[in-house]
Amino acid sequence: MSWSDSGAVALAAAWLLAIYSVAASLWGAWARREDFVRSGQNAVLAVWAFTLVAAADLVRALVGRDFNLEYVAQYSSSTLPLHYTVAALWGGQAGSLLFWLLILTSMSAVVVLQNREQNRALMPYVTATLMVVAVFFASLLVFVTPPFQRLAFTPGDGRDLNPLLQNYWMTIHPPSLYLGYVGCSVPFAFAIAALITGRLDDVWIRSTRRWALFSWFFLSLGNLFGALWAYRVLGWGGYWAWDPVENAAFMPWLTSTAYLHSVMIQEKKNMLKVWNMALVILTFLLTIFGTFLTRSGVISSVHSFTQSGLGPFFMGFLAVAAAISVALLIWRLPALRSENEIDSMLSREAAFLVNNLVLVGIAFAVFWGTIFPVISEAVRGVKITVGPPFFNRVNTPLGLILLFLMGVGPLIAWRRASWVSLRRNFFWPGLLGVLTGAAAIALGTGNYYAVVSLSLCSFVLATIAQEFWRGTRARQAMLHEPWATAFVRLVAKNRRRYGGYIVHLGVVLIFLAITGSSAFRVEQQVTVKQGETFQVGSRTLRFEKVEAWETQHSAHLAAHLTLIDGERTVDVLKPEKRFYKKPEQPATEVAIRSSWGTDLYVVFGSYDQASQTATFLAYINPLIGLLEWGGLVLAIGAIVAAWPQRVPAIRTVAAPESGQRVVPAGK
Amino acid sequence: MTMRGKARCRGWLFVFLAALGTSAGSLPRNVHAEVSFQEIEESLTCQCGCGLTVHSCNHVDCGSAIPLRKEIREQMSLGKSKEEILAYFEAKYGEKILSAPVARGFNWLAWLMPFAAVGAGGIVVFWTVRRWVSRQRGSRERESTEAAEPMSAQEQERLRAELDRFDA
Repeated sequence: MSWSDSGAVALAAAWLLAIYSVAASLWGAWARREDFVRSGQNAVLAVWAFTLVAAADLVRALVGRDFNLEYVAQYSSSTLPLHYTVAALWGGQAGSLLFWLLILTSMSAVVVLQNREQNRALMPYVTATLMVVAVFFASLLVFVTPPFQRLAFTPGDGRDLNPLLQNYWMTIHPPSLYLGYVGCSVPFAFAIAALITGRLDDVWIRSTRRWALFSWFFLSLGNLFGALWAYRVLGWGGYWAWDPVENAAFMPWLTSTAYLHSVMIQEKKNMLKVWNMALVILTFLLTIFGTFLTRSGVISSVHSFTQSGLGPFFMGFLAVAAAISVALLIWRLPALRSENEIDSMLSREAAFLVNNLVLVGIAFAVFWGTIFPVISEAVRGVKITVGPPFFNRVNTPLGLILLFLMGVGPLIAWRRASWVSLRRNFFWPGLLGVLTGAAAIALGTGNYYAVVSLSLCSFVLATIAQEFWRGTRARQAMLHEPWATAFVRLVAKNRRRYGGYIVHLGVVLIFLAITGSSAFRVEQQVTVKQGETFQVGSRTLRFEKVEAWETQHSAHLAAHLTLIDGERTVDVLKPEKRFYKKPEQPATEVAIRSSWGTDLYVVFGSYDQASQTATFLAYINPLIGLLEWGGLVLAIGAIVAAWPQRVPAIRTVAAPESGQRVVPAGK
Repeated sequence: MTMRGKARCRGWLFVFLAALGTSAGSLPRNVHAEVSFQEIEESLTCQCGCGLTVHSCNHVDCGSAIPLRKEIREQMSLGKSKEEILAYFEAKYGEKILSAPVARGFNWLAWLMPFAAVGAGGIVVFWTVRRWVSRQRGSRERESTEAAEPMSAQEQERLRAELDRFDA
């Protein structure tokens, strides 16, 4: 066996240069040698270029069907469509690590280019931190799971990509999640640099605001795409199973959401420095912990196809990163102590603290539930399962508190809220919330949580609408603008604030989707003969026939079900059972008919040719369509909030210190 | 901690345990014809490796979920209660078959820790904010005594209004 391809050489070069970059940056900072610092940064660009060459080489091998390469033989085949062949880059262990390294080095290169003239004191340590992470991933790729390993013989064809991964979502879910995960490294690197240099003012926070938002954006999308994938492909009618790997992606999202809120307090009042630092570090550690969970197989998961012997390496890296970060944080504690002052318990500052508590609380609950089986086995020697019922029961009340705070936070004044302003801001939304709750009860909703959730959703929606309404009215009155202009300018001139509201709107839609589909779901399992009809909720379906066909890649069996309304045929649903040929594996293809956010979801369970009877699982999932809409609105909101805003240039005239450029305030 | 502080902490603990009790008693329930069958299905984990409950697993010809469902029906036909049926499954397959830890002994830790952590965090946040509020009052008083001419109530109100407008 040999692995002397250009990709492998490039990877080895990337590894060496990353080590050089760490050494040069640290030496340059220590010896105050700017030339070494610059050289370390240039090395980052070279690491990126070599990683790109390696990744391109693997894609070339995949697309060129070079089955002599073990990775290509393992994760693709001659019949695999082109887009999945490219996506196979992240379909297997080594490839996904290479993809991760590519994203990390790309981001590092952007950071280096962005900071050629600014943050000069921080940069050596930012570079060193990012490159230490890169060295870790590159070491795995060079020594532990080389992606360019050649086989002793060339098989005629590959074993193909896991059929579950041969799916549209495969092309977007892992890249989004990886962008989110890796994006967390940048604020982390700046935080570490700030701790080492003692430059604990707002500079590191301002420099990483967009990065934090960027990684949060992709973490959100990655989680949502994963949920939609599970819903549309796995065919169990749900979208979130609290699987350890789902949890692994959800935890950094929670802590990063907490950070995006609490950082506002630091920007406004120079408070919570330690807490924000801790959140950034925690978020980064959770991304590594997530990767550890996925790879180690310590906890069984549906994502077990990514399992390997890499667990101990990730555990080791996690332990070292945690130890160094915590040590630095403790070392700098005296300098981080800020004159924390809050005017009143009834203030946005206090509301944000509670919001942070709940977000981190949920993250802890998820963490605890995920690792509890391991703890139980270690303490009692008994294997237990902590499954969806646990997470739903623990997180539902916490999630509802969060929903409530989402309505309260933005409307409660900074510093101190007066009773008059509270009444003014909360009267109508509060009333609407109560009325919604009452209406839900009157309409026969027996589920206590659903009532509270619906009531809170309408409360929060009303608070958001009220904010937009008042802002627009104020502009109309003061500047005599037509309402559409006033509305657009209102958002355009306060992008962070109104972008945030739009994100909240998206989150409310997601809450509505979760409430509708979990509390009001109808499900039915039926076994019917051809020509027979059955009911699911208020819908009537008739099982017409079964159709079978075969392709080079897979064999298909589809049931034709007509959705009928009286005598009228409304639609034909065709759920499928598939049998993939390589590897031989059955799969289901769900049929979904959406109307007004409610899905009729049919799974073809089994078919008996002799008696011509089929078993179907049919679900009605109310409001679930809002999951996608909520995701879209959330994405739009995040883009609005992150969109660069031209700030009137307020340049302080001061002698720039060691080439440090003065950044306009508010950037 | 003072006696009063301790008593207050115990009060908080009580409130939080009571809340836990209520939340455990009012689980979301699906609208379904066979509630008890589904409840039992959801209380058991499928052993095929899918990580889902027996109810959710839809693997074609699943070697675990299908026989387990049959077994649930058999047990139900014996007229057993949900608890008795779950006890039967636990005795036969081990505790890992249950989809959530049973609230007893060491497993209490699984259920209590998240709420205990949020509760403890809540107390910390509450005391911290109180301390910061009183510190703020202290410094405000210091400033007003140091000021040559204290602001009139009207001026203070105006300042606060201006600041509110600035902050919003």
